[in-house]
Amino acid sequence: MDECTKRLLQRLIRRIPTQMLRTTLEKWGRLTAAQQRSVDFTQPKLMLTEKLLTMCAESGWTVKHITELEMIYVIDNPNLGMWYALQLMDPEEDAQAVELTQFKEQFKSHLGELVRHVSVKIKKHTDDAVWIRIAWGDSFSRPNHLKPTYVVHHLQTPYVFVTSLTSKQKPLLSQAMVLSTRHQAIKNANLSGRKLTAIRNLLMKQYQQVFPTNYSSPLAEKNQTVSNLHIEREQAESAAHRLQMACEAFGGGKLPQLQSAVYKLETKFRDHTNKTMTEQEEPFRCVVKFASTNLLESLRHCASSGIASTPVTPLLSSIPLKGRNYFVITDNSPGPSQTRQPQK
Amino acid sequence: MSMLKPFSKLPGLNTANILLVESEEQFQQSLADALVEETAVTVNVRLAKSLPLPMENEESRPRIDLVVFIINLTSELSFQSAEDSLKYLDPGYFLGKVCFMVTNARNASVPPERLDAIRKLAASLHCPMLFAEDQTPDGVISATERLLTILKVAAGLVPMATALYLSNLTRCTVPPDIDQPSFD
Repeated sequence: MDECTKRLLQRLIRRIPTQMLRTTLEKWGRLTAAQQRSVDFTQPKLMLTEKLLTMCAESGWTVKHITELEMIYVIDNPNLGMWYALQLMDPEEDAQAVELTQFKEQFKSHLGELVRHVSVKIKKHTDDAVWIRIAWGDSFSRPNHLKPTYVVHHLQTPYVFVTSLTSKQKPLLSQAMVLSTRHQAIKNANLSGRKLTAIRNLLMKQYQQVFPTNYSSPLAEKNQTVSNLHIEREQAESAAHRLQMACEAFGGGKLPQLQSAVYKLETKFRDHTNKTMTEQEEPFRCVVKFASTNLLESLRHCASSGIASTPVTPLLSSIPLKGRNYFVITDNSPGPSQTRQPQK
Repeated sequence: MSMLKPFSKLPGLNTANILLVESEEQFQQSLADALVEETAVTVNVRLAKSLPLPMENEESRPRIDLVVFIINLTSELSFQSAEDSLKYLDPGYFLGKVCFMVTNARNASVPPERLDAIRKLAASLHCPMLFAEDQTPDGVISATERLLTILKVAAGLVPMATALYLSNLTRCTVPPDIDQPSFD
């Protein structure tokens, strides 16, 4: 067993928390029943690592097997690291007919043509997501398994999610992706976040949508939100109206967990009390960042409690509507405009 | 402009009506739940975010005996909203039927100027200013008890005491050195 495999396994075991180690190893299925019994998961991590290394030498696991284990762990815990969304553009006529085996072959062959040494692993998850693990090498060196890129794509949708991709690797991946999915171009979707499930749900609108309606609660007398007949809310109607507008803009129920929204302003400075700044010809460049553990929830609460005025400004409602959290605002358009490609 | 008037409606028998005005709409809910627990008197609580109150409820609204403005000291918006709501009250209310309740006074991030400004406002209107602790159930109960004391007098349920008389005793006063820098 060579040094590379050993280091890979060590790194991986260190990364996986002990509580998850047992289930992950079971799912992997490469331990024999005897080996499984012999591992004591109450031991400290260092001893577990030693144990597994000896097992690795005995059973002859290769890099291929270890990367399988890593992939199983990452698929079960996708919410680590920063994910970026990309969008495929201009599908060809047969883009809708691309199915899994064809995609796999095409992707591997295209990427193999672009990069001399590359290790690609493709796996289909139960929820129709295709997971791709790429270890990049170049003409002179073997693939580096310690810094793999993970790509998630749902076939027949235009969305691709990537993590740990450098700017050198991006054009190679884009090319391979575009060709194998039968589209003509790929662009940055300007959406990033720590939770893969959240940005996927946001883009594919898989959360409760609330639609404008004239009659929001058909049985009004049943919706008593106060506990007591002696307590009465004077402005209940306007509160309900604000809540309806907030939910229309952001959605109802549980919202996808976005961590931040960034607005890059390139607008002219406007303040009547400050003449010197207002007279400047060039735009006043400034970046506004909103951050929160659950940004959409916070914004919806701002709107429903009256802190943000309703109807919700398009600057904020574009986040769920267009599925992005990076905007460049210029003076020409009243709302967020199309952007140039930002460096991620 | 719909002003809230203190004596334009008839009072109810053994009933006291209180209006809690709070921009954040948080503390008023727990206060309301505690206020209606009172057994000696029927307490009706009306909750609002700000004044003016909607015209639609004008008919069904009972005579309001006490208006309480709840101000969160950590929020400037809360203070502004309360100040703006004051102009929608008939001047008759300021004869003992208005009270200010201030929360989060112990918070270190509160600028002292804000508390001074509220104090001056309450003193100029001859209203009492109460401090309340809204995070614990004990704090809510003690705030409720104090409000009930004032409410019962304002509703005329305490013999030999009127709201105006009580407000003379309890109204907020401004210490003469309020504008001097303090040594914290």
